Amino acid sequence: MRIRLFNSKKTPKDQKRFLNTTTPKGLVILNVVLLLTYFILLAFFFPIGNKVLFGLLIAGEVFHLWQLLTFLYTIWNTKGITPPDPNFHPPVDIYVTVAGEPKEIIEETIVAIKAMEYPEFKVYILNDGYVAHRDNWQEAEMVAQTHGVEVITRKVGGGAKAGNINNALRQTDNPFIVIFDADHVPHPDFLLKMMPHFSDPKMAFVQSPQYYKNYYLNEVTRGAWEQQELFFGPICRGKNRLNAVTMCGTNMAIRKEMLLEVGGMCEESIAEDFATGMFLHEHGFKSAYVGEVLAEGLAPEDFLSYYKQQFRWARGGLDLIFKYNVLFRKGLTLTQRIQYLASASFYVSGLIIIMNALIPVVFFFTGLVPVVVATMLLALIFLPYIFVTLYTLQGSTNFSYTFRSLAFSMSSFSIHLEALWSVITGHKPKFEITSKKKLTGNFLYLVKIHIVYIVLIAAGLIVAVHREGVSASVMANMAWALLNTVIFTQFIYLALPEQTPQPKETIEVAV
Amino acid sequence: MKKPPAFFYKYKVTLALSAMILFIISLSVFIFSRQSLRLDEAQSLWQTSRSPLKIFNIIAQDVHVPLYHLMLHFWQVFLGNGVATGRALSMVFFVLSIPAIYFLGKLAYNKNAGLYAALLLSISPFMNWYGNEIRMYSLFTFVVILHQYFFLKLYKTADAERRGGYWFLYGLVSLVGIFTHYFFWFSLVSQALFYLFNKDLFQKGDFKKFLAVIMILLLAISPWLYYVLHLGTISNSSPQLEAPTTVDIFNTFSQFLFGFQIDYVNTILVSMWPLLVLFGFFGLQKSKKRPSSETMYFITALIVPMALAFIVSSIFRPLYLSRYLILSLPPLYLCIIAFLNNLPPNFKRFFEIVLVVVMVGMLFIEAFSAFTPVKENYQQATDYLTAHATADDTIVVSAPFTIYPVEYYYHGSSTLTTLPIWDRSHYGPIPPFDAATLPAQVATITQNHQNLWLLLSYNQGYEEPLRLYFDTHYQRLLVKNFSLDLNLYEYKLRY
Repeated sequence: MRIRLFNSKKTPKDQKRFLNTTTPKGLVILNVVLLLTYFILLAFFFPIGNKVLFGLLIAGEVFHLWQLLTFLYTIWNTKGITPPDPNFHPPVDIYVTVAGEPKEIIEETIVAIKAMEYPEFKVYILNDGYVAHRDNWQEAEMVAQTHGVEVITRKVGGGAKAGNINNALRQTDNPFIVIFDADHVPHPDFLLKMMPHFSDPKMAFVQSPQYYKNYYLNEVTRGAWEQQELFFGPICRGKNRLNAVTMCGTNMAIRKEMLLEVGGMCEESIAEDFATGMFLHEHGFKSAYVGEVLAEGLAPEDFLSYYKQQFRWARGGLDLIFKYNVLFRKGLTLTQRIQYLASASFYVSGLIIIMNALIPVVFFFTGLVPVVVATMLLALIFLPYIFVTLYTLQGSTNFSYTFRSLAFSMSSFSIHLEALWSVITGHKPKFEITSKKKLTGNFLYLVKIHIVYIVLIAAGLIVAVHREGVSASVMANMAWALLNTVIFTQFIYLALPEQTPQPKETIEVAV
Repeated sequence: MKKPPAFFYKYKVTLALSAMILFIISLSVFIFSRQSLRLDEAQSLWQTSRSPLKIFNIIAQDVHVPLYHLMLHFWQVFLGNGVATGRALSMVFFVLSIPAIYFLGKLAYNKNAGLYAALLLSISPFMNWYGNEIRMYSLFTFVVILHQYFFLKLYKTADAERRGGYWFLYGLVSLVGIFTHYFFWFSLVSQALFYLFNKDLFQKGDFKKFLAVIMILLLAISPWLYYVLHLGTISNSSPQLEAPTTVDIFNTFSQFLFGFQIDYVNTILVSMWPLLVLFGFFGLQKSKKRPSSETMYFITALIVPMALAFIVSSIFRPLYLSRYLILSLPPLYLCIIAFLNNLPPNFKRFFEIVLVVVMVGMLFIEAFSAFTPVKENYQQATDYLTAHATADDTIVVSAPFTIYPVEYYYHGSSTLTTLPIWDRSHYGPIPPFDAATLPAQVATITQNHQNLWLLLSYNQGYEEPLRLYFDTHYQRLLVKNFSLDLNLYEYKLRY
């Protein structure tokens, strides 16, 4: 029997209110106080149990401390920035990156772009279908011809999406470029809202949210979007204040001259946008975030596509830490370093989640605990901290953050671990564009580790009860294990095969 | 399936509330009212058997305010003495609390929330216990619910004339509240804090009205406080409480939801606190708006009294008792309802049912189990003494204040005394235990008696030395346990 944890049928009337973010400063301060109280007491005042477990626990808590403090610092002020000249409307080249997406999807985007209200812009379809060995690569050219826009089809590959954009940079003339993924349909006022920010001569790029219009389709699309709400809501708005906006690869505008100064889009990273944004910042250029949905795209509709998308982001994020050493790069301000490290280190959280999740398992099989403390005392300092943190998370997203989003983030530990392993071993991943069609099949192989965890918990519980009966320690650890199990079950449920399998579709482009 | 008749829908709320009231009355009549008188109850009966003026005097030396005791006095004057009659007064306030919390829940959220709140209150093991105890706690709960209802009315009502009425009722209930229990002030502090952070909800001039109410309350209570301070015996009251620990806080929550369970069950229940984190995660749902001001108020009214009681107990004097904090029970239930309302419907229903099933289960365990820790079976103990102690024997009760329930039930021919020896006709606190004078006191008691029956309960720290003294000086003939920590020992004094 599957227990439905979420109400999937209802559609909230206001789906974009996550952008309306203000967090009371008193709440942020209270959150910091409770967080520090919890951490200091746990780290320095409780008797240590098993030293290894204690070390792992504290390492995890240090990470949480870092993540939460940087989050709270980011959301401290989320007021938007007004462009110096609201009537600044320079000529723009619009790039639509395509790599074998269905014709209808490209067409919808082109039609919407042509309908944009703006004095002067030119549209280019950057067609990588040929180099991606897609059978339908000519469809993009047909769409261009039908709608009277330019098409640039690469015949020599390399650099994936970044290479595609860099190729176009050499062939277009306008001083500003706007980039849309093939499925991201802009609103008519996109350019009018974005371009005035370039009236600041130091402005290098302007980003808008990557909204998913197919949000309501299924659990995967909901989860994928709800994770984005936290990022494109309070986090990006906070980064705006700190001149540390993350470049997201679509729904964005860039000053061409500055992009060329940093060598174009970064072709060496799987997350080319993330890295390019950082290069622009380290050259002293500015960024802005327009906290308004100005384009609507498509979320991954199936578990495999979601998994691959998250892996790509995780791998790219970790590259920033391990390959580009974000903390010590010259040119970035301290705030920008912290912001980049905070964003990138999110993908290390998988390691922390599994470490914490394993503490009850270790207890069940060995009886070892990290701290020897009255469970009620621990509860007294932990519960206020966690509840205020959850409330802050909710409040910062204008009550849009969901259990589903949290479950997706926590269950993604396996993706983060895979990405981390890939970075450590130096494995070069393929750039896989998120499928625009739903893939079906049995994806349980992607959640093996989650299933193994639940089996371990069940077996461990038997061992623990046999060892010490139904004790308070066993019950407390069982409750923690149950918490993890309920969260991981969400992922397992999504990975289960559906009734009518369809052929798999994956687009691969060599980096 | 056949649809229920139309009147069912028309009178749904009345029928539901009536069923709940019938349920608690049935439980009271068939189970709770038949249980033995407990120490606190015996004290209430003893205290209220005096004249009203004497009641003032006795209560002023205790840790309470006198309203309930006066009510109980006159209740007994009109309806007669007895355990069942005394408990019936508490039941009246418990019954009144059911519709009261319904209206509070309805006012804060909606009709269904009100009904669910009433249901939780009616199946609450904690409320059922104190709804059947000859103490002020069900009155306190009723007054607090009314107080919260009128407080919410103050900012939810726009009409000036009606607001005037609510201000009057708010002030009146506050006045009753401060003479019901000292902890009622915590309710006022909660409301003051809520007001400070939510001034926008209130109208201009409300601050002055609040101040006026507080001034009236202070004026009204000041003669009583003067009298209490003048007597100067409040700090000597017994039993002495211990400083609370974090365990007490979680036990309070556990008791509010699951009642009084044996230590093992209680430990298991509270050790599952990490599940609260999971519930917190479930609470992350898309919501059209922030938690309502009512929910924020209930959270304040839940946490502030507990925090204050804990802080005061830790710094000044231990006064943390879950029953004193019964004012936080209605807000707890309403907070749970606010949380459940935020969940998707299926999930909400699932948790609502689980909570009701668990609470009802715990209620029956509390009612029927012989091991329920708060049960004090003085009745059975004294019945045993009546049957076995003879005129040549003497009965010694310790701690001394447990003489009240023993005295109430015991109708045998043995002499009754306490250790340390306590002359209740003598003004002042119970004499402290003194190991040096113990042999002399025992010698006084044991003179001319054949056997000594030692009934120990409410350990005040000297139970073990007492028992050891008798064990080492006399031959022990019998040990018998009647309920948790209520033990009877028989000793041979002479042959």
